[in-house]
Amino acid sequence: MKQMRILVADDDPVIRRLLEKRLSENGYDVTVVSDGMEAARLVDRKRFDVVITDLVMPGDIGGIELLQVVKDRDIATEVIVITAYSSIDTAVDAMKKGAVDYLEKPINFEELFLRLDKIAQVRALIRNAGDLREAMDVTEASAAQTIQQLEITAGDLQLRLDQLRRILGRDDRPPEARIAEALGLLGREQG
Amino acid sequence: MLKITPEELKVITRYIHEISGIHLDAGKKYLLETRLSSIAEELGCSNYMELYQKAKRDARRQIQQQIIDAISTNETLFFRDEGPFKLLQYKILPELIDARTPKSSFMKTPIRIWSAASSTGQELYSIAIVIRELVGNDISKFNFKLLGTDISDSAVAQASRGRYNKFEIERGLPRDKLNRYFTLRGGFWQVKDELRAMVHFRKLNLMLPFSGLGKFDIVFCRNVAIYFTMEDRKKLFNKIADILEPDGYLVIGSTESLTGICSRFKPKRHLRSIFYQLQ
Ligand SMILES: C[S@@+](CC[C@H](N)C(=O)[O-])C[C@H]1O[C@@H](n2cnc3c(N)ncnc32)[C@H](O)[C@@H]1O
Repeated sequence: MKQMRILVADDDPVIRRLLEKRLSENGYDVTVVSDGMEAARLVDRKRFDVVITDLVMPGDIGGIELLQVVKDRDIATEVIVITAYSSIDTAVDAMKKGAVDYLEKPINFEELFLRLDKIAQVRALIRNAGDLREAMDVTEASAAQTIQQLEITAGDLQLRLDQLRRILGRDDRPPEARIAEALGLLGREQG
Repeated sequence: MLKITPEELKVITRYIHEISGIHLDAGKKYLLETRLSSIAEELGCSNYMELYQKAKRDARRQIQQQIIDAISTNETLFFRDEGPFKLLQYKILPELIDARTPKSSFMKTPIRIWSAASSTGQELYSIAIVIRELVGNDISKFNFKLLGTDISDSAVAQASRGRYNKFEIERGLPRDKLNRYFTLRGGFWQVKDELRAMVHFRKLNLMLPFSGLGKFDIVFCRNVAIYFTMEDRKKLFNKIADILEPDGYLVIGSTESLTGICSRFKPKRHLRSIFYQLQ
């Protein structure tokens, strides 16, 4: 499975550093930024599998706005919002607008890794489903081709069988002559 | 998602054919868009022509490889179609073991098996399991060499690693074999070393000459030629005929046929399965 690419947006340097450290230790490709503006700029240029964002950030682009930018850019990018206990309502609102999940501060990393695993699994499954569809398509075409080939071969054989039957069935001629002619026909095909 | 123009469609499908042999007709427009748009965007390309030019200019061929990884269909499963593995167990392997068993005990004649489009490895590991089940602990008396090759770097990497997720493992693998040959590690199923030590994976493009591959006793070339044109299929099976031992075995996909493709092979039937041998 490919390494997941994650963007973290949070104005709190401690949380930023912590997330960067823990995520990269666990094999994720992490980029961190300190505000929504920068995050939005990055999202426009680069593709991320997951964006983890604080809900409240200074400037014009907070978590909810960033969520919208991300989803407009690529609906397949998953967004997890980080929230203080006091603003659970906003987190629920974020989920209605398309975030997959929210995490409460202080961040429980076990929980975060579990959710990221789930996201990775779903993404792998989606890719597999696409592959399966394409494989079925091509395999079906191949089967149709093979059947057609077989029908042509069977048709040829039937034709020869009919010819042989006709030759052998001509009772106006002596059996030896019929057999010789039939063998001749077979011989010609062999050669 | 970046849309592809008819002109770009032509250029890109020709390019993909050139680098992988994979033949895509105009009906695969959507497939190309879903698989290539993220690569294009990531590289900052505003259209597919730019992507094509970037890929052509990339001396390290990383973009080319990314395109191949994205476009190749790696769909596979353990013991796919079952028949070929029964065939292996009850006919092909016993016959070969008979034919290759050394007269003197000093020399172990190798039995070489090749999975020619091994994808993420399930086919070759299934073969390894069949061998294990057949010879049991006598494995050291034989010299089995199992090679898996594929054009996709990411597929080869996963195959070598031998690690599968829950969904991959649940397809085709019976419970008893799962428990016997895999261990659960960090949410994934890992092939045990006894199996992994039997196999080897590496990258190979079937469109290129098979130099340095050597000869094989058994070749599995399943569900890959169906992505190629007739011309390319002919060339491929002709090359396989060249590297197969005179008494070797070829197994192809269950929907495939060599009629009209390669007359050097003769189809044979056993246990309701078809395999091919040289004329
Ligand atoms: C559908 S999978 C088949 C896997 C397995 N043989 C089976 O039957 O389950 C097809 C594989 O062929 C590989 N492939 C496509 N073109 C190839 C080429 N030119 N050379 C080698 N492998 C190729 C793809 O990367 C993919 O993994």
